Amino acid sequence: MTENPVQNPAQGAVQSPAQNQRDQRTAAAGAPAQGAVEEETPPAAFQVEGLNMWYGKKQALFDITTSIPSKTITAIIGPSGCGKSTFLRCLNRMHELVPHSRTEGTVRLFGQDLYARNTDASIVRRRVGMVFQKSNPFPTMSIGENVVVGLRLNGVRNRALLNERMEQALRMAALWDEVKNDLNRPGMSLSGGQQQRLCIARAIAVEPEVLLMDEPASALDPIATMKIEELTQQLKANYTIVIVTHNMQQASRVSDKTMFFYMGKLIEYGETKRLFFQPSEKKTEDYITGRFG
Amino acid sequence: MNEYGKHIQPSFDKALDALKEDVLLMATLTERSLNKAMNGLFKRDDDLCAAVIADDQEIDQLEVGVDKDGISIMLRFQPVASDLRQVVSAMKVSGNLERVADQGVNIARRARKLNHAPSLDQLHLLEPMYWEALTIFKDSVRAYSDGEVELALSLKGRDKKLDDFDRKVGEEITAQMAKYPNRITSYLNLIFIARHLERVGDHAKAIGEDAIYAAAAEDVRHQPRAVTSE
Repeated sequence: MTENPVQNPAQGAVQSPAQNQRDQRTAAAGAPAQGAVEEETPPAAFQVEGLNMWYGKKQALFDITTSIPSKTITAIIGPSGCGKSTFLRCLNRMHELVPHSRTEGTVRLFGQDLYARNTDASIVRRRVGMVFQKSNPFPTMSIGENVVVGLRLNGVRNRALLNERMEQALRMAALWDEVKNDLNRPGMSLSGGQQQRLCIARAIAVEPEVLLMDEPASALDPIATMKIEELTQQLKANYTIVIVTHNMQQASRVSDKTMFFYMGKLIEYGETKRLFFQPSEKKTEDYITGRFG
Repeated sequence: MNEYGKHIQPSFDKALDALKEDVLLMATLTERSLNKAMNGLFKRDDDLCAAVIADDQEIDQLEVGVDKDGISIMLRFQPVASDLRQVVSAMKVSGNLERVADQGVNIARRARKLNHAPSLDQLHLLEPMYWEALTIFKDSVRAYSDGEVELALSLKGRDKKLDDFDRKVGEEITAQMAKYPNRITSYLNLIFIARHLERVGDHAKAIGEDAIYAAAAEDVRHQPRAVTSE
């Protein structure tokens, strides 16, 4: 975590030649270290090297080295307490909200060290949006206000721009047709599935580069779940998506790549179809076939 | 039970074990049919031939049952990895076993016709071919049952031996046809029986391919050799 921060290339900044060289070396050496079998992938959105994480004295992640390709869906599976949500939170520094948590190692987003001393955590979280298990629209805000609240917090005041971004985000979240005539209704008046899509719209309204989803459909009925899954397929054209799920059928349906975590370690990482058909590691096989513990 | 240990849901292991047991029961009945059909031919025993034709229905029903149970397992448990391959291969092996049993029925039908005609000296030509076909078939079932990839891989080459048998039997009997045109119908039945035995080899090879798919996750159909020996 010693690199100088580099602006996101997507935002028009130019990286230094030295940074480029480092990135190329990282990319070249960026194949997952732990039990991984990697196939040809798009350029990496995240490069994670030697990531260790502690909650107080308890170590939650052990030496994670991996890369997550851009504009793909990566699923993270594993038993409860294996570190998958912790790893997800390390990708946008959300874990820092937990007292006494600390990390070692490097997490780069399109080359920028997210843990560099002068990297602002709030900017990291704007670039890396998050959707949680339980939908959490702001209870006092309308549907429309919920979507644009992030933009307002970032200083956008232009009403026309806010309306444009609101409609765009709601359309991308496949919610526009259902709410376009009720934008002033409270966000909490929507169904559970709609609320979750509202939260996705809120997350994408600030135009992040990555969407992290922590069991986004686990509290939803099958129809609402299918809508969220379908939505992820549409969103991956524009976003890198990392999704934590307990539902292995969901992981196999929606993701391009899958990571299997166990006891804080990345056991296996590879193409989803292969991992669910012929896993390389016995622990993965045991877990996905229900012969675990 | 899966080689990886017990499933969290014992009902899954039970269902998968039952599926495989039904496939192996089919294999036993199929082998018995093939034996009866060939003994009906060699011993000129119509009763054996009739039994083969009658017993075929049981094998057909088992095939239907394996498909039904396999789909039920997929619906109820959504198996993945080795479990999924076990279910898929069980359904494919049962299809091949049913076709081997059909070859037994075809042989039995032709044997009945031959039994009602004068005995042919050339019948002995089929004996080594039959033993080869039976051995290949039994080995294919063992490869599937025990997950023996190397044994399964050997079946492809051995199937070619049956093809050679078939060609030689055809050549020898065709030569006889010119000498004894009044026996042409019987000779044709012998040639067809050789062809049915050759088809047994083809299905055994296919069962071997299903065994490799289940054990090694390799699809070796229409490939020279996808899985190499250690």
